Amino acid sequence: MTQDNTLSPGQARAPGPSVADTLNTDRQPPPSPLLKSQYNFLGDEDIPFERYTCSDFFQKEMQLLWPKAWQWACREEHVPDVGDTYVYDIGPYSIIIVRSSTEKIDAFLNSCTHRGTRILAAEGSGYSPAFTCPFHGWSWELDGSIRNIPGRWDFPHVSEASHALQKVNCERWGGFIFINMDLDAKPLADYLDVLPEHFQHFPLERRRIKLHVQKTLPANWKAAQEAFMEAYHNFETHDSPNGGNTQYDIFGKYVSRFIHNIGNYSPESLADYHGEKFRKPLMTEDELLAFLGVYGLDPGTVPEGETARALVAQELREYFGKLLGVDFAQVSECLMLDSIEYHLFPNMFFFPGINIPMAYRFRPNGEDVDSSIFDLLILEPLAEGVEHPEPPDPVVLDVDQSYTEVEGISWLGPVYDEDTGNLAMQTKGFKTSRKRGLTLGNYQEARIRRVHLTLKEFLSHENSLD
Amino acid sequence: MDAKDYHKVAQADALPQGKTLCVELAGCEILLCHTSEGVFAVDNLCTHAAARLCDGKLKGHRILCPLHGAAFDVRDGSVLTRPASVALATYSVRVDAEGIAILLEQSGGAACHKSP
Repeated sequence: MTQDNTLSPGQARAPGPSVADTLNTDRQPPPSPLLKSQYNFLGDEDIPFERYTCSDFFQKEMQLLWPKAWQWACREEHVPDVGDTYVYDIGPYSIIIVRSSTEKIDAFLNSCTHRGTRILAAEGSGYSPAFTCPFHGWSWELDGSIRNIPGRWDFPHVSEASHALQKVNCERWGGFIFINMDLDAKPLADYLDVLPEHFQHFPLERRRIKLHVQKTLPANWKAAQEAFMEAYHNFETHDSPNGGNTQYDIFGKYVSRFIHNIGNYSPESLADYHGEKFRKPLMTEDELLAFLGVYGLDPGTVPEGETARALVAQELREYFGKLLGVDFAQVSECLMLDSIEYHLFPNMFFFPGINIPMAYRFRPNGEDVDSSIFDLLILEPLAEGVEHPEPPDPVVLDVDQSYTEVEGISWLGPVYDEDTGNLAMQTKGFKTSRKRGLTLGNYQEARIRRVHLTLKEFLSHENSLD
Repeated sequence: MDAKDYHKVAQADALPQGKTLCVELAGCEILLCHTSEGVFAVDNLCTHAAARLCDGKLKGHRILCPLHGAAFDVRDGSVLTRPASVALATYSVRVDAEGIAILLEQSGGAACHKSP
């Protein structure tokens, strides 16, 4: 395929119907935010590999990114009752989130103000009617104020002002609890950008954690999350016909999105891909339907005048309607079927879809530059009036374990194995390359570039961001 | 009291799923924990600093100590989280129409803490 040199960088698109074309021909129109598109060319320079491999760069992230970035630590349903706690670890830092009163959730650095010992040992949900350091028994109330100091006579120099637990900013959105260790940070709302406006159509507060999988991945946290930020890899990694027509949106410094249609494809978008797969012969609607059989549905064949996309969307409306007690009759094909993925800087993903209803978080694995922890939540819609059930404990997978070992993960197991299966080789490739950086597509991989541009801003500011 | 016999300690409806109930048998405080996998019985006193686990909270299969946050798996008494390092004693449980009964003979873990 030849390139159209009359276009400016970033203006070119794959041939075939766009996402907007597909959504405009669906039977049920999607909520208005899904019809918006917003992209601007962000440059085409290579991204240095050392950003993924260099321990100095990693340490800079530890000093200037993670202590200053908003990040979700847990869900509100992890701390439903007064005294419920959740410990969130990021690099060398550890934060306690606590339901300190019926209405209030607080966050503190997980460090004793006496000699620095971690107060709560393990990441995850817990319960403490008060906090007591296991070393010398200093204790604090749930609001962080000093409760008792054994041998108080020896500490005349200690006061509430100097030795209460160290506060961390804590805000909520979409049922998630976010923390920011920088007391001078801008409010969370400034980072969320379009998310509150868009997600009012698909509130994440009304979701429950059906499954939480926490896996160690053999790659820097950025390489790991970037494996999920584009659908360009679908053909080669997933042996899938669609992905070329995916829409990519950049909503600002902190938020981006892709919308990837499911249940259709354009052979034109694959014109310069190797071989003739999915082009000669073209996939029929029945074959597309069979392709979607992984969802566990058995809708038969596609009647004349019907499409696999419309048929499967309808099957899913009925299946999930019965399963969850939620009325999906008027819900768009897009929300029922498509992979709609919002990214929030630096490391968080939110999917408003019904069949693809995830949230992701990628973070460094302790202080190891070459590995990361991938938290995958499957967030199922809750029926009206139903209270959040107790969330499941995470299923923890080591680096060599397969997602197919996770009970209840269904068709997603092999998909996540494929998505994460390239990471070890990519990390090795970073280190052997004579070429000094990775090259990104102007459109399909623009979200990756957006993250790097914002990251660069964080790392170049010794003090607070403007 | 014969350690080889089951002893009724509570009515079944006294312990809804997700809740705990502290009972005393032969001088031992024993904590009944009703999880999604059934009712389990463990020693009520944390093996670290002897805080009462009935003042903590059951989350899934974990009983959480209210003092320092130690966690134990109630299914086998094993330690999940520091600062505890010794497993809790566990007791065999039988639930039937007559109620919840436990076998006093403990398996694994530390020796039963007698009530103070």
